[in-house]
Amino acid sequence: MKRSAAEIVREYGPYPGVDAVHGVTYDGTHVWFASGDRLSAVDPASGKVARSIDVAAHAGTAFDGRHLFQIAEDRIQKIDAATGKVLGTIPAPGGGGDSGLAWAEGSLWVGQYRERKIHQVDPATGKVLRSIECKRFVTGVTWVDGELWHGTWEGEESDIRRIDPDNGKVLEQIDLPAGTMVTGLESDGADRFFCGGGERGNMRAVRRPRRA
Amino acid sequence: MESLITAAARALEAGDPLGALNRVALRNDAPSLALRGIAMAQLGDFAKAKRLLRSAARAFGPREAVARARCVVAEAEIALVLRDLKWPVKTLAAARATLQQHGDLANAAHAGHIEARRLLLVGRPDEAERTLAELDASPLPPASQAVRGLVVAGIAIRRLKAGDARAALDLATRAARQAQIPALVAEVDSAKLILDTPAARLIARGSEHPLLLGEIERLAISAALVVDTFHHVVRRQGVVASFGTRPVLFALARLLAEAWPAEVSREALISGAFRAKQADESHRARLRVEIGRLRTKLKPLADVSATKQGFVLAPRKTRDVLVLARPVEEKHATVLALLADGEPWSSSALAVALGTSARTVQRALDELARSNKVQSFGNGRARRWMIPPVPGFPTGLLLHGPLLKT
Repeated sequence: MKRSAAEIVREYGPYPGVDAVHGVTYDGTHVWFASGDRLSAVDPASGKVARSIDVAAHAGTAFDGRHLFQIAEDRIQKIDAATGKVLGTIPAPGGGGDSGLAWAEGSLWVGQYRERKIHQVDPATGKVLRSIECKRFVTGVTWVDGELWHGTWEGEESDIRRIDPDNGKVLEQIDLPAGTMVTGLESDGADRFFCGGGERGNMRAVRRPRRA
Repeated sequence: MESLITAAARALEAGDPLGALNRVALRNDAPSLALRGIAMAQLGDFAKAKRLLRSAARAFGPREAVARARCVVAEAEIALVLRDLKWPVKTLAAARATLQQHGDLANAAHAGHIEARRLLLVGRPDEAERTLAELDASPLPPASQAVRGLVVAGIAIRRLKAGDARAALDLATRAARQAQIPALVAEVDSAKLILDTPAARLIARGSEHPLLLGEIERLAISAALVVDTFHHVVRRQGVVASFGTRPVLFALARLLAEAWPAEVSREALISGAFRAKQADESHRARLRVEIGRLRTKLKPLADVSATKQGFVLAPRKTRDVLVLARPVEEKHATVLALLADGEPWSSSALAVALGTSARTVQRALDELARSNKVQSFGNGRARRWMIPPVPGFPTGLLLHGPLLKT
């Protein structure tokens, strides 16, 4: 397993009126973050909030190219990114113990925090297709270049780790500085991760290690 | 962190404990137990709240030190509200250290405020102030600022500093409104009533009238000779004679001051200061000795002149003599003062707060109960004492806030 210290490229926020960031996603232009009763889109260049949608937003956030998916209480809402309208909901696999959310390969991937699991879910029905056992409490989840990454927060420590989607084995680990929390995770498709900073109400960009 | 926990914690913070319970009522994971505990406390079911918080602390893993510490702080606050003064303060101090160490400054401050409120309750304002000073001065959330304001005001009130108390309460009002926690706003409002309630009596030239806290403070700069029964001193502006360990001398000074400019007979001085029913020759001899000592102590402030019948006070550099006394001076005034917070107290908590034995407190309570000044409910160890309820008394419950955000 490769292990390294996180290189924090940039900090965003804290944003006024945001007491915690619960989920993060990226639509190719803006970084979206969930903060309880709102989704906000941030311009990653300026760090400014470009727009926001008032919607219950208690945990992970994902984007499928047209829709935002957002966990609220014990369900996953499908939201029209253009209008902000909630188009429908499916049950969340963790029944409310859900944390991170990602979209990839036609499925939703949902972290279940204290159960230390990631579930692959049918976005139409909410049916659990399979579950991956993880080693630590799971926060944010993201896929990039065929790699499954998730954030952890356990024992007051956070890291971002790449796991084998078949058996949950940890392949690579990026440690965040002590007391720095990862509460949402999204790749920009290139060499950056966007991470939610939890109670600090901020976000961070962390460099994704280069492939040899 | 977890979806439903976030939703429930948000409901709790918005003052909706039932909404929080709805979301986690059927869950038994550690954060749910903790949330249910706090919701139960806000709903007034303290016994259930304590049980839930304790099982939550057990259910959090050994590596979740911060979460455990937060449960300890919540339990300590419930103990404070229940006037369970025997609850281990060391446990709270350890939890505060853990929170501080992990950068959870808001909850560390909350823990410190609970410690300070307890110290205030047991009459140790200096230690309460030191505890506040130890806390990180970084910006606190509004609810914590409000509680801090209450503690600062409490310290100021016990030191008879009305201006400081008012300033602290004004700050607390603004912070409580900003926090939008109704219980907190109510607590601050009722604390303010203290400033408009007589805090002392002024006795001068044989007559007396009630004084507000602010008026007491202004007395400090008056040019009069003041016999101050709160601090057991006689003073004129900056000149102070302290009688802390000399109750008999102080009683004599007070008797002379209350009667001034008239004289006080030897018999009256003997019965008032020595608690002797009849003055015999040995009492007269003792009075002569004590008056001699009083003269020495009062030298820069006043003379004590002998008259035919007794003695008279002759103040120096002023034409005014005042006595500052507590609003109620009865035998068990200190017990009543503690019960005046409107909370049910156990006799053992009263004993801790007064620094006396449980037996002494019990005798005082029994006497007060006979004259209907206090009432009790419950039996055995669960027995609690209150003064008959007065509308508008604070509940004392300040459980709030950022306890469970992660």
